[in-house]
Amino acid sequence: MKMKKRLFHYAMGTCAALLFSMQLLAQHSIKGQLRSANGEPLSGATIILKGTNKSVVTDEKGAFSLDVPVGSTLVVSYVGYTPQEIKVTNQSALDVQLQPSTAQDLQQVIVVGYGTQQKKDLTGAISLVKASEVQKRQATTVAEAMQGLASGVYVRGGGRPGSEANIQIRGIKNLSNSNPLYVIDGMITTANRDFNPNDIESIQILKDASAAAIYGSRAANGVIIITTKKGRQGPMKVEFSGKSSLEVTPRFELAETEEFARLNNMAYDNAGKPRQQLDMSVNTDWQDEAFQVGNMHDYNLAFSGGSSNGSYMVSGGYFGNKGTVISTNFDRLSFRVNTQGSKGIFSIGENLAISNSKTDEMSGNPYADVTRLLPTIPVHDPANPGGYGYGNEAKARTFGTNPVAIANLEDRTNENFRVRGNLWSELKFLPFLKYRLNLGYETSNDHYDYLRKEGNWTLNQPYDPAIAEENRARWQSGLVENTLSFNKTFGSHSVNAVVGQTYQRDDYARISGRKRNIIRSSTGEFIDVLDQGNEPQTGGYNQRAVLLSYLGRVEYNYADKYLLNAVIRRDGTSRLSTANQWGNFPSVSAAWRISKESFFNVDWINDLKLRASYGTLGSSNIGYWDYLATINTFSTIAMGADQHIESGATVVRLVNDDLKWEKLTQKNIGIDATFLNNRLSLTAEYYIADTKDVLTAMPIAYTTGNDGGNPVVNAASLRNKGFELSATYREDLKPFKYYATANITTLKNKVLELGYGRNNIYVGNTVTEIGKPIGMWYVLETDGLFQSQQEVDNYKNKDGKVIQPTSKPGDIRFKDNNGDGQITNADKALVGIPWSDWELGLNLGASYKNFELSMNWFGAFGATVYNGMKSLVDRFDDNSNYRKGIQPWTPENTNTDVPRAYYGSTLNSRGDTKRFLENGSFMRLKYIGIAYNLPPSLTNKIGFSNASVTLSGQNLITFTKYDGLDPEFNNSSIYERGFDNYSFPNLKMYSLGLQFGF
Amino acid sequence: MKKTLYKVIYFIMPLLILVSCKKEKLNVENPNVITEDQFWKTESDAQQGLNAAYAMFYKPGLWSRWIYFRLDLTSDEGFSKSPWVELADWTRFQYINYNFWEGNVQSWRDTYKAVFRTNQVLANVAAIEFADQTKKDKILAQAKFLRALHYYYAAIMWENVPLVLEPSKPDDLPVQSTLAQVWAQVEKDLTEAAQVLPVEWDAPNVGRPTKGSVMAYLARAYMQQRKWQEAKTALDYFFTGAGAGKYDLVANYKDNFTHTNENNKESVYEIQFSDVNKGGDGDDPNATMSTNRPQFFAPRSIGWSDGQARYWLVNEFKKEKTTEGKIDPRLQHSLFYPALEADFNDKIYGRSWQWDSDEAWFRKYARDYYRNNEDYFAQNNFRLVRFADILLMYAEVLNELGQTANAYQYVDKVRSRVKMASLAVAYPTIGMDKDKFRDRLKMERVLELSGESVRWADLKRWGDLETAEKVAKVAERDPDFNNFQVGKHIRLPLPQIEVQNNSNLTQNPQY
Repeated sequence: MKMKKRLFHYAMGTCAALLFSMQLLAQHSIKGQLRSANGEPLSGATIILKGTNKSVVTDEKGAFSLDVPVGSTLVVSYVGYTPQEIKVTNQSALDVQLQPSTAQDLQQVIVVGYGTQQKKDLTGAISLVKASEVQKRQATTVAEAMQGLASGVYVRGGGRPGSEANIQIRGIKNLSNSNPLYVIDGMITTANRDFNPNDIESIQILKDASAAAIYGSRAANGVIIITTKKGRQGPMKVEFSGKSSLEVTPRFELAETEEFARLNNMAYDNAGKPRQQLDMSVNTDWQDEAFQVGNMHDYNLAFSGGSSNGSYMVSGGYFGNKGTVISTNFDRLSFRVNTQGSKGIFSIGENLAISNSKTDEMSGNPYADVTRLLPTIPVHDPANPGGYGYGNEAKARTFGTNPVAIANLEDRTNENFRVRGNLWSELKFLPFLKYRLNLGYETSNDHYDYLRKEGNWTLNQPYDPAIAEENRARWQSGLVENTLSFNKTFGSHSVNAVVGQTYQRDDYARISGRKRNIIRSSTGEFIDVLDQGNEPQTGGYNQRAVLLSYLGRVEYNYADKYLLNAVIRRDGTSRLSTANQWGNFPSVSAAWRISKESFFNVDWINDLKLRASYGTLGSSNIGYWDYLATINTFSTIAMGADQHIESGATVVRLVNDDLKWEKLTQKNIGIDATFLNNRLSLTAEYYIADTKDVLTAMPIAYTTGNDGGNPVVNAASLRNKGFELSATYREDLKPFKYYATANITTLKNKVLELGYGRNNIYVGNTVTEIGKPIGMWYVLETDGLFQSQQEVDNYKNKDGKVIQPTSKPGDIRFKDNNGDGQITNADKALVGIPWSDWELGLNLGASYKNFELSMNWFGAFGATVYNGMKSLVDRFDDNSNYRKGIQPWTPENTNTDVPRAYYGSTLNSRGDTKRFLENGSFMRLKYIGIAYNLPPSLTNKIGFSNASVTLSGQNLITFTKYDGLDPEFNNSSIYERGFDNYSFPNLKMYSLGLQFGF
Repeated sequence: MKKTLYKVIYFIMPLLILVSCKKEKLNVENPNVITEDQFWKTESDAQQGLNAAYAMFYKPGLWSRWIYFRLDLTSDEGFSKSPWVELADWTRFQYINYNFWEGNVQSWRDTYKAVFRTNQVLANVAAIEFADQTKKDKILAQAKFLRALHYYYAAIMWENVPLVLEPSKPDDLPVQSTLAQVWAQVEKDLTEAAQVLPVEWDAPNVGRPTKGSVMAYLARAYMQQRKWQEAKTALDYFFTGAGAGKYDLVANYKDNFTHTNENNKESVYEIQFSDVNKGGDGDDPNATMSTNRPQFFAPRSIGWSDGQARYWLVNEFKKEKTTEGKIDPRLQHSLFYPALEADFNDKIYGRSWQWDSDEAWFRKYARDYYRNNEDYFAQNNFRLVRFADILLMYAEVLNELGQTANAYQYVDKVRSRVKMASLAVAYPTIGMDKDKFRDRLKMERVLELSGESVRWADLKRWGDLETAEKVAKVAERDPDFNNFQVGKHIRLPLPQIEVQNNSNLTQNPQY
């Protein structure tokens, strides 16, 4: 009631003031000139008479004229500059200088899904990633290029050609798939390697439930909204950008023949086995054989332009990547047309992208192979089928694979032709009411080709003839969306509402064929078409899923001070059984802009907003028919005197037919503030996200006889808690400018409940337990090495039982944690967390006149990781190469933590020990670049509007104690996230870029 | 006018789309498969369900690969020099990681996978109406035989396993059974199967278990429990029962191991392997129906060489000559050994001996008789029970029952095929001494059945692994037994993950 009264007084006061001022008004013609801070004329800027619709646009020379009343106010605005208000006096000429915007962040328009908001009006947690920062980096996918650019976003990738990075927003919400939903120009899809990051205009990441709620069931892992470039009003602009890079892989430090032989002989001697007859004349550096200097080329050309009622953007791109591993390659040709036009109340537009990507896939894992092969093995050996060296039972015994052999004997290519786009149209019935129809469509034709030539790549390999295999598949996704939006301001009240209905259907169909004994042409080439060969195998299947949804959102804004946002979405999915198909996902959020309150009077704070949100999201991110018990009809058996074939049918994979929606409830509080004349801006968030009924293929007892994957079940409850801070400081000390952004993320996950009434899940060397984070390291603890037989004999439990009676000096001493006098699995202990305590992204930039320098640093701290490479090469029980300079224990050399070398027994080399766990903290220079922008005086001469040259590097410097190849590694298993199992490392890259427009 | 047109278009378009959406039901049928509720309705369904249970023989945890490591290599006949040290450790009682997939978990999983398939048949076929009741009974009886067979080997390997007898549900955590309970279930299933299964099958069904197959396994189960009288009753089937005269030894010993003379008169039960499919070992189209055994046991630089024979076998073969003064011909077909070429003018996959002078490799089921390399697609049927084994089992049972005199003839029958003198002539000191007879029989079994996956059960049955002194004797033949701890290594550890995930299970003693 009190509020209402106040509103009334406020309204009356405003009216009175308006009336009063109108009496004083006298029309006055004014001319002006608009310039930038360094004196260049600004054309196309808008000058509005405040409180009216009256406006003009500056001409090419930045000039304007307007009839305005004396005493009125002009608002001058131009993209990228701080708007300026000018009081009209009696003067007839104005010379206005606009300052580059330092607070432009707040004015930014954010795409929030079925609508837009200004950043200042946000009530939920949304991060913006600057497209320019992403495009600076040389990367195959947009995800990979986002490392460190936003808080709360975890990215791990690798340098394999055509590989897609793993991305995860605000922690692990479930136990299967952590990839967020991508929305590209309104099409719900994935930004996979077919998508050209250079087409991006803006990226926003919806992190909390209220922001993502409009995507309801699809948004539990967060949403990344990507808008692609559009044409702007004006004559055609041509933009070119090109980048060429060299890529270098990090390498292991491995022993050469002499050192290898010494260590290998030691391991055999200690075991009392006759030494191998090592071929000391060979000294192969397998890394030289398997690795090469890679390169990347990325060329993009875009044409854009438009008029007041239409625009176009046409772009073409080529991306080529020759891998750092021999015989790996990725090529992408992409093409895009974005157009839009309007007439009266009707507008229509489309975004269409066509791409063709081809990957020459890696065979085997060369990073593992180079460590497993012995330096005494030659690359080629005519004695072996196929002619490659891979060891020999007497001279060099290893199960390693010759990477050169497998690269040449196995050809694997994947090609995807993709068309992705949407067509939309809008009808603005009334100024405040708009209907929009969005039709999205995506299809890809996928083609996989495989040829296995005759020949061997590893010792004692079974015989295989030449084999050809081919798959062809088509993926299609159709989207229909109807939305009606309402947008009206009543005095200080502004209401924005949208209701809609969406429908999406995904289809996938594949056929495949395989033949053996592929013949060769007279030139020795295999004729790898499926008409050739014999013993045919064929296959094929179809998949379909449907999602039907209804959505609604109301945003209410009172005087920019009080902001309220409520969303409801109802989803139905074909992936759950009829009884459980529908789920409701509501959310609500609010913000209070304290800085707009009259009582708030702090000079150095320009803007201060508090936010809070609460909402529920869902997920049915499971297989197509995981709830359906099916019969496997593929068994065949031989039977009868004639050994004829009969078919069989049975249940192989168990199912839980009562699967229901996984639900994520997230609470978020946040603060947005800018200080010191907008030089410092800051966003901080704290959230708690609880996921219930997590849909996961949780391991079940083997006694069920289940196979073909564990059944999906609504199993666990998980909690993620995190704090995110993003701060930017920018200052313009003409002509020197600089900025610094820090993104800090902390995240803790905890298991609240596990399915089937269980208390833990064991996977590899990890355990996932209630009350603890996912995938804790669970291994035997070690306590140094036995230095003498006396130490072995004296190592007893409290009952006096010798704990490791068979050990010898130089063996590992394990901790007998349960005190039973022997070392068993029961002695294992929780010894570390694979998750980082916090991650830091630092983005620094500075410019002086025409030079710009920028740097992105990324660091992750506090994770305990497992060095898979060390666990393989430091064991000595099995032949592999060894780390250069490794010092196994000997009676003469006791000052070491490496146990004595002993061939042929796992007793001293087991992997389930703390020995291979390391501190995985690191800080890395992800990107550094220096750009030179050609001065206008020069570009004008050659007819360019702008031109720049950039020299940059990626992953050049890393600070870490981790002994593996790359601390920023990726393991796709959620339970074993900290296990560096020869992951493909991030590469060092040196790039030269050229960019110009006219 | 134009505006009106837009409006018309705009009102119609969404309507059309909305309508089409409504029609698209959320219930999308899976077009690729049949669902469980459509199955188990017809006779053909029953037959197919049963066939799928047979397909479990082709899985790597069982008879296409790893079980030979457990039964042949762990015993004193074989061992491993595999460079894959963990694999080798699991053949010499160095069980470190109980979750080692190839050594333990996969065999466990595949055992229960096979049990699950037989349980499905037993639970679902009962309700299916058959025109011919005997046909249905035979299907159920086959399922019981297969279930008993898999539990028989589970009892040999892990002993204290849970008995799962109903189709599984995802949250099942079955209760552990004692070894005695497992044997009781094996006896029950086999006894019931024996009442139904025929003495012989018609040609199209040759390879399915006969009454003789059932009796053989029933006898084996009794013998492992040292229930000699019951074992004799079961084995009587072959000599005085309906099986008498149905079986005999093939003239050529070698014919027991090739793909060219399968399901012969000596065969009591054999796994029907085929190389028709060249696919993987999952449950996908074209899945393999072959055995990988020869690829894994072939000598170094031919196959994986993950398992080989102990050299004492060669010596044992050479201790006694045939009545014609020649080397026991079974040696030629049992082992690849250094003097093979000298003794029999025979080669190893076309090669002369190139391995160490004290090495030997298993030759049974190797396909060197028609090719010079190996792959994963060996088609030779594996003879789980041969009549020669039945003869020796019968002799053993009779001896244990004090009918030693009666036992001689059955041993002699086996010996005479390969022209070995009768036992009484060759070993006159045995006489009617039960223990001496048993000791000789142990060697007779090795010479006839080495590499045929019976030795581990034999050692357990004879009690040769029950005291440190006895184990020390075995260790003289196979030094791997120096690692053997009495009371512990007589059985495998249960997969650790299974014990952790199922609170109804207790790890085997001392693990």
